[in-house]
Amino acid sequence: MIRYSQLYWQFFKKHLKVMMEYRLDFFIGVMSVVLIQFTSIFFVKVVFDQIEDLNGWGFYEVLFIYGVATMGRSIHHIFFDNLWTIGWQYIRPGNFDRLLIRPINPLFHLIADRVQQDGFGQLVIGGLLMAAAMPHLGVEWGPVNLLILLVLIVSSGAIFVAVNLFFATLSFWIVDSLPITFAAFNLSDFARYPLNIYHKGIRWLLTWLIPYGFTAFYPAAAFIEHSGYRELGMITPLIAVISCWLAYRFWKVGLRAFNSTGS
Amino acid sequence: MIEVSGLTKEYKIALRKPGLTGAIQALFKREHQIKQAVQDVSFSIRKGEMVGYLGANGAGKSTTIKMLSGILTPTSGKVEVNGIVPYQNREQNAKGIGAVFGQRTQLFWDIPVRESYDLLRHIYEVPEDDYRESLALFTEVLDLGPLLSIPVRQLSLGQKMRCELAAAFLHRPAVVYLDEPTIGLDVAVKQKIRTFIKEMNKREETTVILTTHDMGDIEELCKRIIIIDEGKVLYDGDLQQIKERFGQKRVVHFELENKAGFAVPASLRDRVEIVPKADGEAEASNTVSLSFSSRDLSAADVIQAVLSVHSVRDLTIADPKIETIVKEIYERGV
Amino acid sequence: MRKYYEMMKSQMKIETAYVAWFWAGTFATVVKILILYYFWTAVYENRSSIAEMPLETMLTYAVIAALLGNFHFAGPGNQLAEQIQSGGVAVELLRPYDLINRLVWQSWGGFGMSLVRDMLPMLAVGWIFLGIQFPATGTGAVLFILSTLIGLFLAMYIDLILGVLAFWTVNIFGLRTLKNAILLFFTGSMVPVTMFPGWLQTLSQYMPFQSIVYVPVSIYTGTLAGLDALSAMLVQILWLALMWAVVRVIWSLAVRKVTVFGG
Repeated sequence: MIRYSQLYWQFFKKHLKVMMEYRLDFFIGVMSVVLIQFTSIFFVKVVFDQIEDLNGWGFYEVLFIYGVATMGRSIHHIFFDNLWTIGWQYIRPGNFDRLLIRPINPLFHLIADRVQQDGFGQLVIGGLLMAAAMPHLGVEWGPVNLLILLVLIVSSGAIFVAVNLFFATLSFWIVDSLPITFAAFNLSDFARYPLNIYHKGIRWLLTWLIPYGFTAFYPAAAFIEHSGYRELGMITPLIAVISCWLAYRFWKVGLRAFNSTGS
Repeated sequence: MIEVSGLTKEYKIALRKPGLTGAIQALFKREHQIKQAVQDVSFSIRKGEMVGYLGANGAGKSTTIKMLSGILTPTSGKVEVNGIVPYQNREQNAKGIGAVFGQRTQLFWDIPVRESYDLLRHIYEVPEDDYRESLALFTEVLDLGPLLSIPVRQLSLGQKMRCELAAAFLHRPAVVYLDEPTIGLDVAVKQKIRTFIKEMNKREETTVILTTHDMGDIEELCKRIIIIDEGKVLYDGDLQQIKERFGQKRVVHFELENKAGFAVPASLRDRVEIVPKADGEAEASNTVSLSFSSRDLSAADVIQAVLSVHSVRDLTIADPKIETIVKEIYERGV
Repeated sequence: MRKYYEMMKSQMKIETAYVAWFWAGTFATVVKILILYYFWTAVYENRSSIAEMPLETMLTYAVIAALLGNFHFAGPGNQLAEQIQSGGVAVELLRPYDLINRLVWQSWGGFGMSLVRDMLPMLAVGWIFLGIQFPATGTGAVLFILSTLIGLFLAMYIDLILGVLAFWTVNIFGLRTLKNAILLFFTGSMVPVTMFPGWLQTLSQYMPFQSIVYVPVSIYTGTLAGLDALSAMLVQILWLALMWAVVRVIWSLAVRKVTVFGG
């Protein structure tokens, strides 16, 4: 574990160096993500100018959900973005073999191979959203609450990673599962609004099957008195652990299949 | 060092009926055909040996190498490298091996070569001093100095290959697998690479398994070759012996003004053979290929004899290719 | 007929990966429309109209605008920029056609494909399941189609301006993202321009963007009708003429730059 953290730091330093070499691209990347995100926040703002609440959720509460979602996504985008590329950059051209002749965990190697700079844009916007929303929630932001928030955000990121890992693993059998991963990832957009506006079936799907609900809505609801989902919100870390475990098991199965067929 | 016995790898290939119906059927019910990529291969390689592992494309070379390096699990049979079973103990095995896989880079695409090496140092946990020493040596032998600060994607093929090779040896592995390390390179770079491999073998007693289509690589580096065809070992033994027996075979291709009246000149009769046209080559083209053994004829003799009888537009002398040797062995036996 | 059926079948087999992407894209659009549907339904929970639009009109607006908006991101300017940066433009200039016109017509081809493949099926789904309205009047339907076509032309020429700029700036990516963010918002593909705060509405009136989505879709919903619709379309045409002229001027400057100074 310590060895892997040190190793990750070595990888990370290299990526950082490359980013700083292309500083302009880095800032343009970050700024463009911020801009695009801003449009959807502006959308929420414009709508809330006309109404007081959305199914009982006020403007700042919806912003808070948005913020948690964006923070969770940013963790996934910055550090785990390479999962997207497993099919077309590793398995199809035969580069996955390279990972398999290294004396380290191939999943670690895959993840460490890339740091996605645009994810920093999400981090910025997520941070701004949180800062804007948090003072208006009627929550006392003491150290305990902040710690819980941090844990929930990390869990949110972990769930994003787990779902993507699960679908990316399909690439071991079908070479490139990117369209499927992309389709599944789209479901996470549901989680940006209070889940109780949706049909029961959608809610169930996003809670128990593809747990994107735990990437934003439930963890945010954990802090909101009247949400009715405080308990469900608090089990987010548990859901994250279970999802990651399942996804990793699936990855292992896929890897074994790859070991017996090659490509 | 490397013990392989009864190594077999079977692939299931999904059979698909032609047409859209077939494609849809395949979704529900698949029929398989079993393809034996490697069949009952056994050999053993001592520490410090350099062995050429030869065969045509699709003969099972890379499948074997993948099983030796722990990427693939064999269907049956045993492999031990350095006392480790690679596919059971992949990470342990990986510490002791290095590899160059043809055109695919082992380095990190975006970052300068030196940084790539630095990362590899951490991945393989190479002690700082050893690392510095190796790097200095490699820089000198492979002439890497000017390349170290350039990102891999900006390097030419030859430059990249030199860097790749250094990367494969950086952690001083006991075994190195080299898959086509000189493909597409010019003579000077080839020579540099061969010198480097020899040097490392001498210094570190590195065991090297080399697959290549380049006879020059083999002749300069390997005393022993293993020839594989359709997944089976055809020959395992001395290079010199096989060369004496089959490597004498030479071929001259002639392009004639008019092929219609061609006959083998009297002076060459019984000493040369007309090579039959390969499939797909037009029978009507005006080319004739003559093969002969360099033990009883020189290329100059053959050319002179043909020129004196026929009008020749162009000619080429072909080097003995691994493929031709393999074919010979296959047809005539060892 | 038999021949074409066979051709279609063989094409389908070749493009299996493409088919996967088609379904992934369709799935993403369905998710997007579902989110819009539930979101707006929740917004209208306690009220019958917002910005003088009832729920049905708003849903109709949102879905059609989202479908039209889908098409605005990949445009002829993108291809032009790619050709400029790869140097292919020099060859193109030697060919016996006008490059700008060629790119525009190619884009229309793309639009035609996506109209048949994506937009019409989605509209059908909307009509049947989500209670999307038909155009208010027959005249409205005709004007909507005309206005959509003008709007698309306008979007293409705005895109081309960015494309030509690739002659002068290397990093066109940032500009594109900026454009996309502006387009996403000011065209009205997220919310009708009439919902904007007053000062933004005013600002929007002096920009060409609302002619791209807001005007055609409002004609569809009947918000713009009669003389209002006609004058909005006149404004569309004026903007189109202006953008066309801008493209032509900077394009001829760019071509002179290439031919005189060698790029």
